[in-house]
Amino acid sequence: MSFLEMNNVSIGYGPSNARTEVLENVNLSVEENEFVAIIGFSGSGKSTLISLLAGLESPDSGIVRMKGKTIGEPGPDRGVMFQNYSLLPWLSVFQNIELAVKQVFPDMKKGERKDYIQNYIDMVSLTSAEWKKPHELSGGMRQRLSLARTLAMKPEVLLLDEPLSALDALTRSVLQDEIIRIWEEDRRTVVMITNDVDEATIMADRIIPLTPGPKATLAQDFKVELPRPRDRTTLNFNPDFKALRNRVTKFMISVNEEAKLLRTSRNLKCPDIEPISLAQVG
Amino acid sequence: MKYKILKALDIAGLAVLDPIVRLIYREEPSEQVRKIILFIGIPAFTFLCFMVLWAYIAPRHTTKSGEVPTPAVVWDSAKSVWVFHERENIKEDDFRVSGEERQKRIAMVSAELEKLKPQLAKVDALLTKAQEQAKAETDKAVAPIMAVFEETKAKYSADSTARKKALTDLAGTIKADDKSARSEYLKKVEAHLAQTDVEKGNLQQIKAQMDAVMNRKHQGLIEARLAKNRVAEKVQFYSKRLENLGDNNQQQKVLAAKESLDKEKEKFSQASGRALYFSALKIQRAEDRLGRIETSTYAKPWTFPAQIVRSLGCVFLGFVIATVIAVPIGILCGLSPVFMAAMTPLISLFKPVSPIVWLPIVFIIVGGFIDDPEQAPVHPAFLSSAITVALCSLWPTLVNTAFGVAAIDKDHLNVARVLRLGFWSRLFKIVIPSALPLIFAGLRISLGVGWMVLIAAELLSSSEGIGKFVWDMFNNGSSQTFAQMFVVVFVVGIIGLMLDRTMIVFQRLVSFDDAPTAI
Amino acid sequence: MSQTSQHLAADSTTKQTENGEPNVTNQLTRRPRKTLTARIDPATRLIAALSLVAALLVAISPSKVLADAPSGEKVYLDIEKDSLKFGFIKLTDCAPIVIAKEKGFFEDEGLQVEVIAQPNWKTLLDNVINGNLDGAHMLSGQPIAATIGFGTKAHIVTAYTLDLNGNGITVSNNVWEQMQENDPALNTPTPKHPISAKGLIPVVRQYMDEGKKLQMGMVFPVSTHNYELRYWLAASGIHPGMYSSTDKGGRTDAQVELSVTPPPMMPSTLEAGNIQGYCVGEPWNQQAVTKGIGVPVTTNYDIWKNNPEKVLGVTKKWADENPQTHLAVVKALIRAGKWLDAADKDGKLVNREEACRLLSLPNYVGADYDVIKNSMTGFFFFQKTDKREMPDFNVFFKYHASYPWYSDGVWFLTQMRRWGQITESKPASWYHETAKSIYLPAVYEAAAKMLITEGYISQSDVPFGTDGYKPATSDFIDGNKYDGKDPIGYINSFKIGNKDPK
Repeated sequence: MSFLEMNNVSIGYGPSNARTEVLENVNLSVEENEFVAIIGFSGSGKSTLISLLAGLESPDSGIVRMKGKTIGEPGPDRGVMFQNYSLLPWLSVFQNIELAVKQVFPDMKKGERKDYIQNYIDMVSLTSAEWKKPHELSGGMRQRLSLARTLAMKPEVLLLDEPLSALDALTRSVLQDEIIRIWEEDRRTVVMITNDVDEATIMADRIIPLTPGPKATLAQDFKVELPRPRDRTTLNFNPDFKALRNRVTKFMISVNEEAKLLRTSRNLKCPDIEPISLAQVG
Repeated sequence: MKYKILKALDIAGLAVLDPIVRLIYREEPSEQVRKIILFIGIPAFTFLCFMVLWAYIAPRHTTKSGEVPTPAVVWDSAKSVWVFHERENIKEDDFRVSGEERQKRIAMVSAELEKLKPQLAKVDALLTKAQEQAKAETDKAVAPIMAVFEETKAKYSADSTARKKALTDLAGTIKADDKSARSEYLKKVEAHLAQTDVEKGNLQQIKAQMDAVMNRKHQGLIEARLAKNRVAEKVQFYSKRLENLGDNNQQQKVLAAKESLDKEKEKFSQASGRALYFSALKIQRAEDRLGRIETSTYAKPWTFPAQIVRSLGCVFLGFVIATVIAVPIGILCGLSPVFMAAMTPLISLFKPVSPIVWLPIVFIIVGGFIDDPEQAPVHPAFLSSAITVALCSLWPTLVNTAFGVAAIDKDHLNVARVLRLGFWSRLFKIVIPSALPLIFAGLRISLGVGWMVLIAAELLSSSEGIGKFVWDMFNNGSSQTFAQMFVVVFVVGIIGLMLDRTMIVFQRLVSFDDAPTAI
Repeated sequence: MSQTSQHLAADSTTKQTENGEPNVTNQLTRRPRKTLTARIDPATRLIAALSLVAALLVAISPSKVLADAPSGEKVYLDIEKDSLKFGFIKLTDCAPIVIAKEKGFFEDEGLQVEVIAQPNWKTLLDNVINGNLDGAHMLSGQPIAATIGFGTKAHIVTAYTLDLNGNGITVSNNVWEQMQENDPALNTPTPKHPISAKGLIPVVRQYMDEGKKLQMGMVFPVSTHNYELRYWLAASGIHPGMYSSTDKGGRTDAQVELSVTPPPMMPSTLEAGNIQGYCVGEPWNQQAVTKGIGVPVTTNYDIWKNNPEKVLGVTKKWADENPQTHLAVVKALIRAGKWLDAADKDGKLVNREEACRLLSLPNYVGADYDVIKNSMTGFFFFQKTDKREMPDFNVFFKYHASYPWYSDGVWFLTQMRRWGQITESKPASWYHETAKSIYLPAVYEAAAKMLITEGYISQSDVPFGTDGYKPATSDFIDGNKYDGKDPIGYINSFKIGNKDPK
């Protein structure tokens, strides 16, 4: 039995006469300490998938299990890092993390807690920005804060929902390295959603494509057997890397063409995802 | 330093001064000058235009009820309101002062009174002269019109009699079957009546002329009266001061009471038999009296500044009550669609009700809880006004709170769910902080509404405050009434502005993004 | 206490004042005072007087005995409450209260009194009833109406009548012109007074022909103004409308409709044409003349010579709980009344100008000094061309004005019955009992006696020995005779109004 698994999970939205099935018959199993990247086009139901894993939503049919237990409601054991950060804007960097830490480790002493939080702030290189409010931070800093908050909860599974999608390419690669560095420290189980094949290839142990929605489902996975640590500069010349990347990309393009044919003129209903507002980015 | 000042200005809601600070630090002078002109110069100019326009139009618009006061008159009126306040304070002070200070004041006041005496005689003489002159002028102007009036009236009355006589005479000559003559006669009578009407109209015109002459203002007389009133008021003020420094003075009364107590004690030591009993009684009474005088306070009338302070207290109490009611209900509405549905009819029903309707109802209800107003910690009229303010002003806060809570970002709630926050920590750590900017926006509107409603509430409840001042001054029907209303307009406006600015500052402090909170 | 002992007391104090009071001006009284003829020797009288004063005070203050103060020495009352609040409406007839405060008469009695303007008569009454105020300047009808339960019910009593007369009836310029047309005698700058409402009849008819009714304003349903306006109209055969259990506005069968308008609003309401006339106190009639929007046609002095106008009303409860304070208040007010009506040899009112100065302060009446001065110093402008002397326009003390006469109370009761505010007929005894439960001459007399001993007023200032009823009088505009002892007969003597079985 795998650590985290989904069995024939389906979910849809809307009233019965105009129902959109977002996910259909999704099967997924993630092993402990595995880094899985789920890759898909915009609007294919990736965020819904994460919500299901986190327990923020319940499937219409099928079962989501973690360590063999059915997931009923969200909890700190599954740390979610939301696509749009979900920082509390009225709290400072320190307070945002503190809120989570206090809740997860209620018995921690005050001084101890302070050190603990500071440790995570340092880990994501936010030192000296402790007392800034989220709106005073750049996009990358917010992203790191969100990461630090999630990590500080010491979750058994990290659920990363397009954690880097809103960032520019440079910041993005820096953060990718950072996430990998942190992950390698204790190798917690990670499920990461992304729309970037490079990102998935560099970071993950396994890449699972999500076919375009509606009625999206997971396709055959690709094992990434590149040795770690992976060096971004040399990787570009690694033939295995290139081959894998091409395979994944080709597969993605082919399923997309297929989906387009299937869809023909049907209007697509957008999933319930908030776009990132400019204010948060800038 | 510069940025600290700028930040302080920003938080204080005084961003208007921003360019001045920047100019002092020589940052882009031309840009700052442009901003100063735009944000300070133009408003100041508009205000100036308003004042000039007002000063120009006011004296040109007179109604029968009075004249529209000019800015100068309003300013004078504001000063007289202040003078009244100061004088009452001085009187109260005089009532309490004792010892050497009292003697000094008596000497000073007596000297003032002496100085005023010849002045009074002078203005009296001036007034008499002005009155005579005005009367002579009026008589002179009226006399010819009066003569014309009498003459015309006599002439008309003679004419009318003549016409009547002619008509009655004519009537005798008309034969029974002469139809045309009869209809002719009818026309003649009609003409006669028409003529009478015309004459009446003419007479009335002459009368109107007479009235106009009598209504004519005699500048000399008005000034003489004003001068006389000024001096006479001063005399009155100093005389009252003398009283308060003299026999009415608290310390003097205490001394007198002590003296009489001593006398009674003296008598008591010698009294015997039945008289002893009465003497003892008298001592008791004298002691009571002494105690009362020692603790008595001067019964001072409410003055405008004191009323303003009380109004602020009232609006603050009302605002606190409104907040205490509106925020929890608003949160419940925002959290629970069921509760919102339950409250909607009540909110929609009560929201548009005017303070004038609430007040009597509140009055009765509050009155039911307060038996003895003297012992009550708050005056019932004050409490009723405050509750009325609360009832009228809680709606913006309630609606905004409900909206703020209902519109909470789903991501924030997801954070709470992931962290498995309990109901209370979710409420206090996520829901309320997230709705706070909207709640404060509502509170700001509420305070504005409350301040507006307060005047009406005080006016009706006769709770001491600006509203009561307005009603009292209106009831005075004096020549200053209108000017005093204008004073109130400015005072209310300025205080309202300051309250609003204060709320903006609070709103700034709780808002977590950079969105501007006010213009 | 018996009538004879009262007479004795009164008599003896007269003797004292005759002996050595410099400041006493003998007021003319219309009541024959045969009862005061001395028949007993001075010593006996003195003893009787002193024992009576003591007895009276004991009667009022059962708990503590007040000693018999010797003549000329201040009698300090054992007051229960030393800081008081009195309400008033901004009309010149609140003068006694203002004067008692400003001239220090209250302070002489050990009272610190706050005098607070009230927005309207209703609020004033409510504030007295609920205890916000200790007492107030009230319309004579208010204590009566409150006690019998017309409007707000509460037992209100009065021991002091603040003034007589002081109201006027003003009509709009337009109505005045029509009245002049109807009665050419009025068409002079100085028409003969009193002016009856006869000239108004055609105007009223014309309005009714057009399907409208003439509208007139008065200040309160139980105000003197309401009854005076009704009296004036009805005296000329114009029906002002009846109150009934279903018509609280008093407009049933009305030919002229009366409505409540606050005094300060009167001139502007008249100008706006919502009403064609009004009855109100000063300075609002003079304002109409000054502003040229209306013409006062008559004063209530012409409607009923020396009619009672305002009283000092307190609740029965307050009076019972604070008997000594009540006495002290009445003492101060009597002194104020006396001061207001003090006149020199030629009959000129010497203190009125100072009084006007005080009344014109913004926290009191607040109108311009020159406006207040007109009526208060004995002049009244009927038109700009028509300034007349009205020495008795405001009477505060002379003619025993401030004494709380039962007959005044009965008159108001008869008018309430006449116009249907009292809905059912009552026996004559009810009128007397009601009046006696509201008017407290005993308090007035006790206070007056102390003032006589202290030397502030003289024996003749107080109608000692009266049974509380003024002699029958025909000093009305219609010459109808009023005898307070026969309320039912009086009610039945009117053409218009309710009638009661004997």
